[in-house]
Amino acid sequence: MFVRRDVLKGVSLGAGAVVLSPIVERLVARAADAAPRPRRFVFVVESNGVRPEQIAPVGLKRDSRAERPGGPAELIDLSLADRELPFSLQPLRPWQDRLTIVQGLSGRVCGGGHSNNFMALGAFGAGRSNGGESLAVHSETIDGALAKALPGIFPHIGLGMSKRPENNVIYNISAWERDRPLPTMCKPDQAYATLFGSVANGAAKEEFAARNNLLDFLRGDIRKVERALAGQEREQLGVYLESLETLRNRQSRLNEIEHTLRAKGPVPHDKYTSPVETDRLDAQFDIGAAALICGLTNVLTLSSAAGIRDFDVTFKGLGINLDKHSIGHGGSYQGKKWDELYNIIRRYHIDLIAGLVRKLEAVPEGDGTMLDNTLIVYLSDGAEAHHSRCWEWPMVVLGNMGGRWKAGRYLDYPGYGQPGHRTTANMYVTLLQMAGLSRDSFGMADPQLKDLDQHGPLVEVLA
Amino acid sequence: MMRFLRSYALSPGWKHGPRMSLRVGTAGIGADVAPVGTVGTVGTVGTVGTVGTVGTVAPVGTVVVEAADTNDSAGHRPTVGSPRAQRDTVSASQSLAALVLLGTAAWLAAPLAAAPPERKFASADESRAEFDRSVAPLLERFCARCHGPDLSEGELNLRSLSPDMKGSTSAARWAVVLKAVSTGKMPPPDAVAPDAVAPDAVAPDAVAPDAPRPDEAAVDTISRWILAELKRAGKHVASRIEAENGNVLAHRVLFGGPSRARPDVGPRLRPLRPEIYESFAKDVGKGANVGQPFSPNPATTFKDMGAARLDEPTTSQLIDNALAMVDQLTPHKLEDGVARPERNAPQTLVRLFDERNPATDKELEAAVKQMFEHALRRAPDAAELAAFTGLLRRNIHDAGRKSGVRFALAAVLLLPESILRSERGQGPPDADGRVRLAPREIAFALAYALTDRRPDTALLAAASAGQFDTSAGVEAAARKLLDDPKLAKPRIARFFREYFGYARAVEVFKGEEATEHFPRELVADTDQLIHWILERDRDVYRELLSTNRAFVNYRWDANKRIGLRASQNAVHLAYGLPPDWKWTDKQPIELPANQRAGILTQPAWLVAFSKNDDNDAIHRGIWIRERVLGGVIPNLPITVDAQLPIAPGKTLRERMQVTHEEYCWTCHKLINHVAYPFEIYDHFGRFRVREVVHDLEATARNVDSKGKPLGTVFKPVPIDASGRFDSVEGDALSGETTDAVELVQQLARSPFAEQVFIRHVFRYWMGRNETAGDAASLQAVHHAYRDSGGSMKALLAALLASDSFLYRANEP
Repeated sequence: MFVRRDVLKGVSLGAGAVVLSPIVERLVARAADAAPRPRRFVFVVESNGVRPEQIAPVGLKRDSRAERPGGPAELIDLSLADRELPFSLQPLRPWQDRLTIVQGLSGRVCGGGHSNNFMALGAFGAGRSNGGESLAVHSETIDGALAKALPGIFPHIGLGMSKRPENNVIYNISAWERDRPLPTMCKPDQAYATLFGSVANGAAKEEFAARNNLLDFLRGDIRKVERALAGQEREQLGVYLESLETLRNRQSRLNEIEHTLRAKGPVPHDKYTSPVETDRLDAQFDIGAAALICGLTNVLTLSSAAGIRDFDVTFKGLGINLDKHSIGHGGSYQGKKWDELYNIIRRYHIDLIAGLVRKLEAVPEGDGTMLDNTLIVYLSDGAEAHHSRCWEWPMVVLGNMGGRWKAGRYLDYPGYGQPGHRTTANMYVTLLQMAGLSRDSFGMADPQLKDLDQHGPLVEVLA
Repeated sequence: MMRFLRSYALSPGWKHGPRMSLRVGTAGIGADVAPVGTVGTVGTVGTVGTVGTVGTVAPVGTVVVEAADTNDSAGHRPTVGSPRAQRDTVSASQSLAALVLLGTAAWLAAPLAAAPPERKFASADESRAEFDRSVAPLLERFCARCHGPDLSEGELNLRSLSPDMKGSTSAARWAVVLKAVSTGKMPPPDAVAPDAVAPDAVAPDAVAPDAPRPDEAAVDTISRWILAELKRAGKHVASRIEAENGNVLAHRVLFGGPSRARPDVGPRLRPLRPEIYESFAKDVGKGANVGQPFSPNPATTFKDMGAARLDEPTTSQLIDNALAMVDQLTPHKLEDGVARPERNAPQTLVRLFDERNPATDKELEAAVKQMFEHALRRAPDAAELAAFTGLLRRNIHDAGRKSGVRFALAAVLLLPESILRSERGQGPPDADGRVRLAPREIAFALAYALTDRRPDTALLAAASAGQFDTSAGVEAAARKLLDDPKLAKPRIARFFREYFGYARAVEVFKGEEATEHFPRELVADTDQLIHWILERDRDVYRELLSTNRAFVNYRWDANKRIGLRASQNAVHLAYGLPPDWKWTDKQPIELPANQRAGILTQPAWLVAFSKNDDNDAIHRGIWIRERVLGGVIPNLPITVDAQLPIAPGKTLRERMQVTHEEYCWTCHKLINHVAYPFEIYDHFGRFRVREVVHDLEATARNVDSKGKPLGTVFKPVPIDASGRFDSVEGDALSGETTDAVELVQQLARSPFAEQVFIRHVFRYWMGRNETAGDAASLQAVHHAYRDSGGSMKALLAALLASDSFLYRANEP
């Protein structure tokens, strides 16, 4: 016997349908016993490595670990309450009780290099290609996995800053599944057009009709061609058709929330097309915050020149006319040494995160604010160093997911191979569980750690 | 409602692209949708009619059921971890992936070495009689030893498999039999000892002398019966165009002897390379600012292979681009509702935007014609003309003139023909029922074969003038393009980059010690060496694998002249030249013949196949096994740790010993012994006779008086670069080699390796793997190459005029 409610639930889960028709979705929502808490995840990925010593609280000596198995045997678990944050993390002081600094996770399967590309948010090796700098996509990344679990109008939004202003859409950090990378939109103006364009100008209504006519027309024409084909030739057109349909449905949903988009969307700015990196990154954080607030997505990845083609960006906007590659090799600029430069650049990113946090905190949601239902993870695609080897992978997490994540802590896991050692995959499992999934593994296990149980979340952060 | 399934098996960071468990079935039967058989499966099960995920693939209206999963669908699934599972996973991913039964009328003939008239059965009895008379005895003779009741390899018992495909569910299994038999995959070479190794692991010619092999006539008899019975039962099989692991088709099927085979691959719609799309946007969009929607496919042997990725972000980008191109084509301003062209915009198109005097129906038609001619280089047919003018009218009505016209014109730029390479075969059918590409299609295909640009006017004129109606005419046109020194042909150089893979040298990250490592210069040197060999155009393949000439820091001089990078003169160290070597413009220079021989001994290639801090013997071995020796290496079983031990006191060869264990050796015997010879180079590509490793004992002793370590002590160890050829199809290559130079010299002399090279040329230019139906084309191409004294131009001209290039299997 079918119970309608169960059937509808089944549709929402089983179909993996990213865009359900609004009516079905409302029915699904109504069918649920209680409105589920929204859950959102934001990843901020900055290139060139986060060095472990640079994010430890003041007074806590924490050197980079030796690049070999072994190291400390003890877990360090301290409250941040009476600690002073290091220079680069200070913008997050108002939320110190929601902050978790996580050290000592390894990601050896990824291989290392100037960037680990997709592998930073994934947990897999490059396989056939060489080292961590490979652009192979062997599996889903954590943001892709979360996007599948928390589908929004846009399942995943990737916004980024590429060192090349001409780069529009690039694929180097997020992936839906094997060989299916997710795009990072690098031009703020185009990102704005994609996300908020339906209300961008007075012609929105007209364009809506014209666009729908176009999509319908194409579908008819493609079906005609499709009939004469077989195999992959036919499949690729099937995907094209499906894409057109997705776009058409999305357009309807965007139209439904047109008022919200108008009221809460970002205001386009000169920075959208600026040749200066920091301007474009500022703009992307603006657009990203608005996308979350307007309910366009639950999973947002903000990439600051992540990826092997971009990592050596120059932050001219911060007055540092030295590229990150040179800084990584110990270069100084105007009397400032490499580590100071690292910190200045990181602090700028943390400032942007603070701005995002402030915006989320200003929007009421349930009996709290949007921030209560959002987790922001900051890390580098270059793991622990300019030349990463992934023996450790420092991360900073902001948020407490309605109290389910035990924040306000400094966690430093035992060294590689020691009992209690954990990997980035364990962090990602934790995030999956925060999203309501019951998975206990993510990506591939590290074969060199076969003596350790690599399953499960970081139990230390589970409330 | 029909359901579909597609699953990807995630192998842990190993080779090859999505592994599809494709399944076979018939329309109307609800398929079992649980993902089966693969570990770590990410199955997206959707319902047709709901909106899919980001680009989930499944042809609407097609039911796909796993081929090996029919009447005995339960109970024979491999358990991961057992040797059996390993083998099943391997064979399932490599052979079953090739088959799809379509629930529509689409029909593609499966590969057949020769093409006698098709068999037809009117009734089950008729089919059964033929089966009993001709097929069953062959199955008994060649197959039943392993696929009989006593030992049902792969859970396939051919004695009990019902020959009535309509009255039973056996069609899927028969389709697998068809594929296995017609590609020469079965009987497996280890037929005498079925449990010894995985079937894919050994080249087919290693058959024990007493194992009976079916001859061509037997294969033909079995194949024709299966095809005819499939057809009688209304089960349709399509041979999937594969984009990886092309070597699974046994070499002898293609080069085993004279062949009457005709192309058996159906209409093609191929992905546009990013470079081609870029020039399309430039030409058609008058330099409109568009974003690149396409990325090269990283999973296929060559980037041009496989299907286009028309997922949602790509489609979204294509639409934005089309609108930007329309805007760039129709700049105008409105003065009192009158549209006036700007920047020489064509009046025919601008006219549509006029609010004051709306365009007439005739003018709408003129605009559609203009847009077709401009974007597609052809006139619309009557139906297209009606459809597009209809869209224009409807859009103007619904959305107003400005938006309506913009989006309607953009539609032309979003047709499959605009965003894909259309090689469908729109010409007339021949006596065999195969269709030829239409002359216009041939013009596009030729242009895209060599350049990134659409055909120029001359080529299109040649098409209209009937020059492409004969193969000789096509060959002459190809030859003309090849001989034209002014025509840039970037796709040829790209083939060699992709085939050898040396350009990846720039992506291999070396640590701080690499202060004298200049991978970009090394890649430029190898580019130039290939260019030089192609200019001479004699014995191209042999030269590629054996020349001891090299360009050294070739770009340096050019850079010096423009005052750049003068400090990078250390590049020559990678070639083993002394530090004080004086740069010369008399290049190429000769390097010691006992140190270097061809591309595989160039630093760029060696670095491309190296790791951050060591040689990458495994991937060198895989490359040689697959790309030169035409072999197939099974996928890494998911249970294996694909990492060598960290042991700084040992040489790479010593550390590789872990792969000599029985479990690993099944695959590694195909890899290691063709890779060890390259140990005469270090991971920067420098020639060496000794390898430096950590001296662990001396390091342990190296402490100060307080016991504090003073650092690592190193010691040199003599190189053991001996290797040997094993399990190579054919008898040309066997025995031992002392080092890489000797190894590649042997490869360079081998006619077999030369044919494997031809197969790769074919894959790159055809954008697909070869099938049995390509045997005659491949042999013709090889003859053209040999007869011309090893000319790449002759090879290409023959390929571009071959039946495989010009013909498509027809639809019923």
